[in-house]
Amino acid sequence: MAGKSGREISAVPEGGIKSKLLSWEGALVLILIGVNILGVAISPNYNVNNVLREMPRYLAEIFMMFGMGYILVLGDIDISVGALVCLAGTVTVLSSNAGAPFIVAVIICLGVGLLGGMLNGFIATRFTELPTMIVTLGTQIIFRGIAEVLFETWGNGGGTASMADTKGLMLLAKKLGPFPIAFFCVIIVGVIMIVVLAKTTFGRKLYAIGSNKTAAYYAGIKVERIRFICYSLLGFLSGLCALFLLTATFGSNTTTGQGFEMEVIAMCVFGGIATTGGKGNLTGAFIAAFIIVCLRIALGQRNINTQVILVIIGLMLIISVLVPSISSAITARKKRA
Amino acid sequence: MAEDLILELKGITKIFPGVKALNKVHFQLRRGEVHALMGENGAGKSTFIKVITGVHAAEEGQMFLEGQEVHFKGPRDAQEAGIAAVYQHPTSYPTLSVTENIFMGHEDVKSGMIQWRNMNAEAQKLLDSLDADFKPTDEVGALTIAQQQMVEIAKALSTNAKIIILDEPTAALTANESEKLYEIVERLRDEGKSIIFISHRFEDMYRLATRVTVFRDSQYIGTYDVDGISNADLIKAMVGREITDMYPKEDIELGDEIFRVEGMTRTGYFKDVSFDVKAGEIIGLTGLVGAGRTETIESICGITRPDSGKVFLEGKELTIKEPVDAMKAGIILLPEDRQKQGLILSWGLGRNVTLPIQGELANNGFNDEKKERELAKQRLEEVDTKAVTIFQPASSLSGGNQQKVVVAKALAQSNMKVVIMDEPTKGIDVGAKKEIYEIMGQLAKKGYGIIMISSEMPEIIGMSDRIFVMCNGKVSGCLQRSEVTQERILELSMEKSDSKKGGAA
Ligand SMILES: Nc1ncnc2c1ncn2[C@@H]1O[C@H](COP(=O)(O)OP(=O)(O)OP(=O)(O)O)[C@@H](O)[C@H]1O
Ligand SMILES: [Mg+2]
Repeated sequence: MAGKSGREISAVPEGGIKSKLLSWEGALVLILIGVNILGVAISPNYNVNNVLREMPRYLAEIFMMFGMGYILVLGDIDISVGALVCLAGTVTVLSSNAGAPFIVAVIICLGVGLLGGMLNGFIATRFTELPTMIVTLGTQIIFRGIAEVLFETWGNGGGTASMADTKGLMLLAKKLGPFPIAFFCVIIVGVIMIVVLAKTTFGRKLYAIGSNKTAAYYAGIKVERIRFICYSLLGFLSGLCALFLLTATFGSNTTTGQGFEMEVIAMCVFGGIATTGGKGNLTGAFIAAFIIVCLRIALGQRNINTQVILVIIGLMLIISVLVPSISSAITARKKRA
Repeated sequence: MAEDLILELKGITKIFPGVKALNKVHFQLRRGEVHALMGENGAGKSTFIKVITGVHAAEEGQMFLEGQEVHFKGPRDAQEAGIAAVYQHPTSYPTLSVTENIFMGHEDVKSGMIQWRNMNAEAQKLLDSLDADFKPTDEVGALTIAQQQMVEIAKALSTNAKIIILDEPTAALTANESEKLYEIVERLRDEGKSIIFISHRFEDMYRLATRVTVFRDSQYIGTYDVDGISNADLIKAMVGREITDMYPKEDIELGDEIFRVEGMTRTGYFKDVSFDVKAGEIIGLTGLVGAGRTETIESICGITRPDSGKVFLEGKELTIKEPVDAMKAGIILLPEDRQKQGLILSWGLGRNVTLPIQGELANNGFNDEKKERELAKQRLEEVDTKAVTIFQPASSLSGGNQQKVVVAKALAQSNMKVVIMDEPTKGIDVGAKKEIYEIMGQLAKKGYGIIMISSEMPEIIGMSDRIFVMCNGKVSGCLQRSEVTQERILELSMEKSDSKKGGAA
């Protein structure tokens, strides 16, 4: 039934293939291709096999990125997860060295991650007046502090702990064809995380909370419960990150996981997720993650200093967040002319 | 006869993507007059104001200030030329003080230092002239809507404007507060300022304006002397058709009690509030702003926690801890503040409408976008929303149309048993108002219980079966439809000890 005036409102979605290609994700795909061309151009060793071989230690971060994507869409932030990776890895190594079977060590690794995430979620949802940046800064210090106490007490000295029995980890580091197991796991976890965020009622709630928390609450969304779930999920994925990182490092030290949280936030933002909440999606972030990984591998093969690589990634990040303002400025100028 | 025009606009056209918001409109403002600007929701009134103040650049048209053509590049130019506006949706900074808000953008600075003492004194002077009952150092977010309105007016006055524009300033005000605003406007007029006043309330226009300009469908319809046009003709000019029987309240057989609230108390907000609703009944809840109406129903719906009190639905006591508990039980709230509580402004209209029920429409947790689109379209058309597609962001709608989206969102909830509407027609034009009343009538006929909070006397009196009046956090009385008069409501809204003071206002 139309209203008194008989006005009709269109309900036909617009878009189609053209708008998809013009979107930021479309641009990211082009950039990914560009980065790979660049890689081949600057480094003779840049080929599929080498890239896949170097990939696992970077892949680990991508697990964490998916969880961070959810947190950012909520309009929250979690800067403790790099330290949580260190803690989870350390506990895993120490418990394995103390005789725990590999499968138990794996459960411990994921469990520590989950518990850490739940702790963040608990504090963030109990004391909603605290900024989450501060909450997770606190837990970051706590997680790393605990890890350091563990090193000193049971580690191999000098702030390290290495895994004595690496059989299990070797198994996880195996390849299926040319692809490492981690690669498949990232794809599976990624697809699930992308679909849940984009297609389910749960995902829609995250966007609602990130866009207007008050209106979401009035609409009957259990805001704090959902935030708690997302923090716990990020913690669990950080545990997964720690596990796959071990398959590349076989041990952990005081700097393990340092800066991961910032790198995954960078991937998300580069992928189009706004830190102010409610915007972007994980498809973009997923592509962006591979752009950054490929770039690092390519530049790394040329023996370019890691600090320089970070500068380049930082620049890319700033440019990418500027793109919307630049393009709207251009259209505004066109309109005026 | 040469008129003394202070402001004139000719042939103004403003185009937004997909909509022509203004189509060659004219406007003339005489020096020292109060000029009402009226028209349907989405007619282009707010857009027109923003063209005058330089917020929007018009595609076509000219503007003359005291006979000189002017081109404003932004709000700053307009401010410097002596034009000040109070916009429809508040633009204040809630965490800053009253003084900071008033002088935002034109602080008193001497050699790089902000002169707080001067500014606070200046602010106090402005507030005194408005008879305000709060301090310059108060935080704006902690003030009531009426008080915030006053801050915005003080802000407009602080620039020493010659032309003052008020976009729906009374939409959230009760009779008493409106009266106060009328007095302020009259005083400004007597001081020689020229005023443009937008409102959907006819009583505002009759009380204040000498002339009224009407827009409809982005076009200029005409300018009339308020004394020289009948109410019916004016309505026809505004909505393009006649409207009779504004309050289509039918007498229907009331059923059993469906909803009851007992002894609701939240210290500092409201005390021992009890009332009941029968199936098919429309209950009016009124009182002055600050009487605790919104706070009470927010506690009923689980937004805030009451200290004590019971809620019964169909005879069974409910435990409501969160909004979702009330909703699941079938108690639907239409919140007061559309921009903060009712809508996600950056989202499309459709998603806004279906947000509370996306779970019901979904298949195993996956959103059923097709079903959502159809339902949203249907509900939005039912309340006659002026929109192009259900995908356009809520922020792109006019104020009244945003309100319609909030109504559509409440109506989309199929398990409704009781609906609590907090100022449902705030900012809505006459035509659409009547449609919302009709919808309320239909809901009543179907046996739902309806609670309407409203500050608008005619609608409370016109639509309610029973009226509960609140005063200072308590229910001060209940009036039957047969015995209700404006005077009795006012009497009950004011505290006994206060009644002399209130009566004089
Ligand atoms: N920023 C914007 N982007 C796109 N369309 C807009 C924007 N602002 C306003 N419009 C459209 O312009 C038209 C006029 O809106 P405007 O806000 O001026 O109406 P109004 O007369 O003030 O109505 P109301 O009484 O509901 O406040 C509407 O159709 C609205 O949807
Ligand atoms: Mg308006």
